[in-house]
Amino acid sequence: MGGSLKEVGILLGGPQGSGIETSMWILSRVLVSKGYGVIADREYFSNITGRHSYIQMLASSVKPPRSLKYPVEILASMDAETVFTHFTDISEGGILIYDVNTSSRRIDEIPSMEDATRERVARILSDKNVEPSVESVVKYLERDKRILPLGLDFSALLKTLSEQYRIDARALSRFLSGIIVSSVAVVLGLSEEAVVQGFEQQFGERKHLVEQNTALYRLVRDALSNHYGAVRLDEPGFSMEKAMVVTGNDVVAIAKIVAGVRYQSYYPITPAADESFLLERYDNIVDETGEVVGSVVVVQTEDEIAAVNSAIGAALTGARASTTTSGPGFDLMVEGLSWAGMNEVPLVITYYQRGGPSTGQPTRGSQSDLFNAVFAGHGEFARVVLSSSDHLEAFYDTIEAFNIAEKYQVPVIHLLDKFLANTVAVMPVPDLGGVGIERGVLAKGGPGYKRFSLESLISPRAFIGARDTVMWYTGDEHDEHGHIAEDPEIRVKMYSKRIEKLNLIQRELPLERKLRLHGPGSPDYLVVGWGSVKGVVLDAIEYFSEKGLRMAYLDVKLLWPFPSEEFLKITSGLPDSRILAVEHSYGVNIAELVSMSTGRRIVKRVSKYTGRPIMLDELVKGLEEIVSGRRERVVLTYGA
Amino acid sequence: MEPRWSYKSNVWPDWCPGCGNFGILTALLKALEELSLDPSQTVIVSGIGCSGKTPHFVNVNGVHTLHGRAIPFATGIKLANPGLKVIVHGGDGDLLGIGAGHFVALGRRNIDVTVILHDNGVYGLTKGQASPTLPLKARTKSLAKPNIQQPVNPVLLALSSGYTFVARGYAFDGAYLKNLIKMAVQHRGAAFIDVLQPCITFNDVYTADFYRKAVYKLESDPGWDPVVKTSEEASVKLMRAVEKSLEWGDRIPVGVFYVNPHVSTFEERLGERLRKYPVQNPSNTPIESAGKPVLSQEAFEKMFKEFIVRVSGTQGR
Repeated sequence: MGGSLKEVGILLGGPQGSGIETSMWILSRVLVSKGYGVIADREYFSNITGRHSYIQMLASSVKPPRSLKYPVEILASMDAETVFTHFTDISEGGILIYDVNTSSRRIDEIPSMEDATRERVARILSDKNVEPSVESVVKYLERDKRILPLGLDFSALLKTLSEQYRIDARALSRFLSGIIVSSVAVVLGLSEEAVVQGFEQQFGERKHLVEQNTALYRLVRDALSNHYGAVRLDEPGFSMEKAMVVTGNDVVAIAKIVAGVRYQSYYPITPAADESFLLERYDNIVDETGEVVGSVVVVQTEDEIAAVNSAIGAALTGARASTTTSGPGFDLMVEGLSWAGMNEVPLVITYYQRGGPSTGQPTRGSQSDLFNAVFAGHGEFARVVLSSSDHLEAFYDTIEAFNIAEKYQVPVIHLLDKFLANTVAVMPVPDLGGVGIERGVLAKGGPGYKRFSLESLISPRAFIGARDTVMWYTGDEHDEHGHIAEDPEIRVKMYSKRIEKLNLIQRELPLERKLRLHGPGSPDYLVVGWGSVKGVVLDAIEYFSEKGLRMAYLDVKLLWPFPSEEFLKITSGLPDSRILAVEHSYGVNIAELVSMSTGRRIVKRVSKYTGRPIMLDELVKGLEEIVSGRRERVVLTYGA
Repeated sequence: MEPRWSYKSNVWPDWCPGCGNFGILTALLKALEELSLDPSQTVIVSGIGCSGKTPHFVNVNGVHTLHGRAIPFATGIKLANPGLKVIVHGGDGDLLGIGAGHFVALGRRNIDVTVILHDNGVYGLTKGQASPTLPLKARTKSLAKPNIQQPVNPVLLALSSGYTFVARGYAFDGAYLKNLIKMAVQHRGAAFIDVLQPCITFNDVYTADFYRKAVYKLESDPGWDPVVKTSEEASVKLMRAVEKSLEWGDRIPVGVFYVNPHVSTFEERLGERLRKYPVQNPSNTPIESAGKPVLSQEAFEKMFKEFIVRVSGTQGR
């Protein structure tokens, strides 16, 4: 591969449970320690061991990357299935790392492959007149695509390692990740020192694993000595002294600790559960001297119903409380959500969308629950729905979710998705100096305290347990004390009070919490979207601006109450025909939400609902189709 | 001695005249009085239905929740502020129908919460449908056809779920029920009282007359001792309680079936994990100082060092 590159795409593939994720973590940290930006998306089946899993990464020398692209420069495969599934994903002149022991494998000998996938790949191969074996695919890539195949003898490498360290044969598969990390590092010309640091951070106290993986790195480097640095990344062009490498789940959990969460409940569900695992790992919160300054009670409940309702119970006592789930679990929480709305409870629900309906695609991404978050629940009540577009935003938004919940005494749904939850990204270390904790209007209570006082829109909140204070809550309509009341006058006052908070929230939240406009002012086209499509849309906009087309992106962060006035103001100079919407759903629901909230009709829509992330290349093509006037609606499908 | 507080609220109980709920309410008020519980440190959590209204009639903190969900609410309240006394009131449909999973979960966890079951065999507030404790083929006057489902045995379910205090009372024996409630509230761990409660409007099978004839006290057997003295004794006492729980019909036992003080509570187990938990409640641990997080930048970076990568750049590559 001639010259050096601004950015390199890497795809790592292998069976689920074989260490692909470990490889991703080590490589990400090594690259970041060298000053590169990294983003890595993890794609996997709903399965523990054996199904095809892959990581798509992008390393950049110029900026922290925010989207993925195809094809990639390097494909590192642990098994034959990866070669078959991804051989079309390697760019011309790229590199294929594979295990020579799989050479003779044929596509019909791979039981873990889904029939539909096998047939699709076989059809592609047959169209190209390529035999469906690894060997033939490798030859085809080398001959027709100028791809450099680097065959490694995985078993020989592991055998040498096992002889050197007397490792039990059954434990050897644990070192597959070491081969993948080492081979990619060698091809990228990353130093042994950096790679060893990566092993050290990954394996921590298990020094023998660091030593053995280092030995493996040397074996791989010797085997690939002619190709050391075959793919050259430019010298890093941006500088951070230190950075965080985190998943979206991690960053939300970390932010919850900063926010002061003291109670978190959950019922296991993908892709939300990892957040609670991290919280539980850090349930003793310590200051710089190691002194415990607080603790988080993390409870795995019997179901999502118990999760939401126990979090509400905790919130009534004054603890910052949250629960976390994805679509199917949220559905079960909705009755509790209405109760929280009725009782003005500050509750935070962290909602990671995945592919539905029903269990749908349990491990894949989607943004198709927008309406579920905004409208779920019987009756009318105030709720706030926030979305985050990247890891760093998710950090600050998580804290803001608690502040809003307590300040306005409303349930807040923090709407995220699987792409963010599972994507590893580099981000700056957050600056806590800019973080505020707002608990809203609190009351000491005392005899005669009225929890639902009608004297102000926000009734001063005392906690259950406050001295000499007694209060009542009920899901029924109630009077100022919280006792059941069916009198029509009280009904009107209480009902209106609860809903009219939305106006206050609209008035008080700053613009940057609601909408963020990226790109040129007075653009030729405006793309509207929310959540994790931001990164790829921003990269597409940059591409178009280089071509002389001025495109801007309007990121909707506050989904409810919808910032109608601000939206209308920002879009006032643009005709409907110059506005597009992008979303991971069939309907591109944000366009409907805009329409009902503002009366503006966005017809042009780009949609993707395969469960895989939107790649820069396909989005650019899709937007071109729409801008050129050829199509009004484009459905993207790229990805294995 | 004059009670320090009036435990009766000024809300009018709108139950049917003669309802068993009145007996339970009176026993509860008397128990609170005799225990002299601080109303601000006591919480009654209820579900939906006639029994769900109980908190409004009592002058302690009251949380009237969703159908079947009183136990999860109580769980969050108690774990966030373990200093509170938490008492759950629910009907048989509420706790053993829609809320059965939560009922079992509380026993497994042995959280220090008292559960009082208003057990009348029917769904009162929706006009008399068969509840989970109504026997197969029983036909109350509100049912179009005899009950087609088998009943749940609340005492047996509580015993097998891990409740460490299990008792049964009768709504119209107020003095006796009051004592059971006092014992349950004072017990450290998950406590359960099945309260036999005539529904005078919809259940003409389990009437006051029926119970008056059938009910007898466990301690009338001079050998009866439900308290587990050493943890080795637990299984023997549990088996005896199970055996007693199966008695139903002409003779129905009330009283304490089983008490095991040797099982750690969920709060104690949390206290072993969370160094601050036994002395500082999640509900009152400071989370901010002057509007800033309690965690300093330095503490943050130290705490989350596993996620922080030092960037050395490509020098010496």
